[in-house]
Amino acid sequence: MLDMLKEAFRSIAHNKLRTALSMIGIIIGVAAVIGVVSVAEGTSRSIRQSLTSIGSNLILVSPGFTRGGGGRTATALTEVLEKEDADRIAQLCPSVRYVTPIQQGNFIVQHERQNSMATVMAARPVLFDMINVKLFQGEFFNESDERAKRRVAVIGKEVADELFPNGDALGQTIRITSGSIRQTYMVIGVLEKSGNLLFLNPDRSIVVPFASAENRLFRRKNVSMIVAQAISENMANQAVSEIDSVLFDKFQNEEKYRIVSQDALLETVNQTMAVLSFMLGSIAGISLLVGGIGIMNIMLVTVTERTREIGVRKAIGASRRHILLQFLLESIVLTFVAGLLGIAAGFGLSKLIAKIGSVQTAVTPTVVLVAVSVSIMVGLFFGVWPAMRASKLDPVEALRYE
Amino acid sequence: MAEIIRVENVKKIYRMGDNEVRALDGVSLVVEEGEFLIVMGPSGSGKTTLLHLMGCLDKPTEGEIYIASTPVSKLNDPQLAKIRNKMVGFVFQQFNLLPRLTALENVELPMIYAGVPKAARRRKAKELLELVGLGDRLHHRPTQLSGGQMQRVAIARALANDPVVLLADEPTGNLDSKSGEEILKIFSGLNKRGQTIVIVTHDPEVARHGDRIVRMRDGKILSEEVNVHA
Ligand SMILES: Nc1ncnc2c1ncn2[C@@H]1O[C@H](COP(=O)(O)OP(=O)(O)O)[C@@H](O)[C@H]1O
Ligand SMILES: [Mg+2]
Repeated sequence: MLDMLKEAFRSIAHNKLRTALSMIGIIIGVAAVIGVVSVAEGTSRSIRQSLTSIGSNLILVSPGFTRGGGGRTATALTEVLEKEDADRIAQLCPSVRYVTPIQQGNFIVQHERQNSMATVMAARPVLFDMINVKLFQGEFFNESDERAKRRVAVIGKEVADELFPNGDALGQTIRITSGSIRQTYMVIGVLEKSGNLLFLNPDRSIVVPFASAENRLFRRKNVSMIVAQAISENMANQAVSEIDSVLFDKFQNEEKYRIVSQDALLETVNQTMAVLSFMLGSIAGISLLVGGIGIMNIMLVTVTERTREIGVRKAIGASRRHILLQFLLESIVLTFVAGLLGIAAGFGLSKLIAKIGSVQTAVTPTVVLVAVSVSIMVGLFFGVWPAMRASKLDPVEALRYE
Repeated sequence: MAEIIRVENVKKIYRMGDNEVRALDGVSLVVEEGEFLIVMGPSGSGKTTLLHLMGCLDKPTEGEIYIASTPVSKLNDPQLAKIRNKMVGFVFQQFNLLPRLTALENVELPMIYAGVPKAARRRKAKELLELVGLGDRLHHRPTQLSGGQMQRVAIARALANDPVVLLADEPTGNLDSKSGEEILKIFSGLNKRGQTIVIVTHDPEVARHGDRIVRMRDGKILSEEVNVHA
């Protein structure tokens, strides 16, 4: 067997140009599969990252959309979610560790002659325990700030850079305005730059104590959303159903609120991306099939060329099985080597795409394994027919063949 | 004396459209252990066909062939392959060495199919090449050898699995008379050491070396004589 393998390698090495040409199809096929799947995988990873880097086991509750008449989707929010709902969740849901109502809105913010646009987010101090944001300088506001309704703010790095282009933001006052609303706040902290997170962009945000903004910046009863955090990953589903039962008690209509858990989002992303990877990979895999036909073609030519050799081998004792195995092994070795080269090309392709397409790509061991085993199967499948032809040659005629 | 091959009333008929070619038309022949048999006849008389049948490369249209008392018609492909591998050794007019393999590897090939372990194979192949006088050409490829040398490699290959009979088809047909004579000397030497040999040829010069001569024409055996010199 080992001898036969060596033989196969040798006969492939014999006609290098032809071997290279016949392998190109498989190389391209494997590289395409790896390249395409690496893009899908990379995208999936970056989505997962932006989903998870904000924190873990988060649950978002938002007002539901209701359907308008005549089948049109109404955009009207049913304005019903309020901070008392968050309080009830805190009281009645044992699987929930932290919860806060959140008010959100876009405002003009000013400091002296500088001004900027920012999303003001009013939340209770537990928010900083729930999400992964770090301070660049200063401190977060705390429970006593919340109770005393102090007008203090933690601002994003971009906002800070725009309002205080040449100085320290800490201790300075900013004016937050929108229409007739106008409030001053004191900056006590600046957030580290972080990029977009699940439901907020901290860099362009101003976070203030919920109580301080109630009736001042947000003159309404309904809140933008409620954010809760489950005690642990295992409790996440439990927490969701506890929150659901609290809210259903109140609304008696599940259309009026939406609960989305981070886990469910992740699950959806994973599933969608897995399907996408598989589909894209399969499409690229078609080129492997084309490559296989190329291999078959070259093997048929090889068998014809080596008719006399086959006759000689039979004359000195090769059985049909020996000949079959010999040629089958040759096409498998051919596609296997092509598969390995394809992996190298696939890695290169994935790096190239990452560079010029500025998307994240990731080559997983799974796709490599699948690509190589598929190319070996292609070799087996398309090698069978030529090898059968070789094994069935009549030795006497093969010996007369010139 | 033991019987090695028995050919019994064998016909080989090729049909080509309406024509039929009777390559062998009722041939009976026995090859005895230890003899040096020459089958002589003009071109087209059916010598190669007969040799191929005796070596289990082909099956007769009619009649039966026994190798060591086993009727060949009853055997399947793996069994026939085994007989070609272990019981007979073929030597061809065109040498038929595999061009990509060295002399040593060509001689090893039948032993690979026989499943002989590598070290034993190497040793045996070397011995045989030394026996035919090519101890210094082990790693040459066929293209680097003369015709006579190639035929010696082919003889060494035919002997690899200690066959009961050596079957040679015009072994000197592609050689000049001097190297032809050397090849025939090797055959004679092997025969003296007990090797059974069958050579088919049209050349009376070759026939002189045998100890029994069978003459053929048009697929039939004409006569049989014992060579006096032997
Ligand atoms: N495969 C074949 N198809 C048709 N005719 C064949 C075939 N093989 C051999 N023959 C014919 O059989 C006869 C004997 O051939 P062969 O055994 O090669 O003779 P020799 O070796 O004595 O020259 C010839 O007439 C040849 O043309
Ligand atoms: Mg002939």
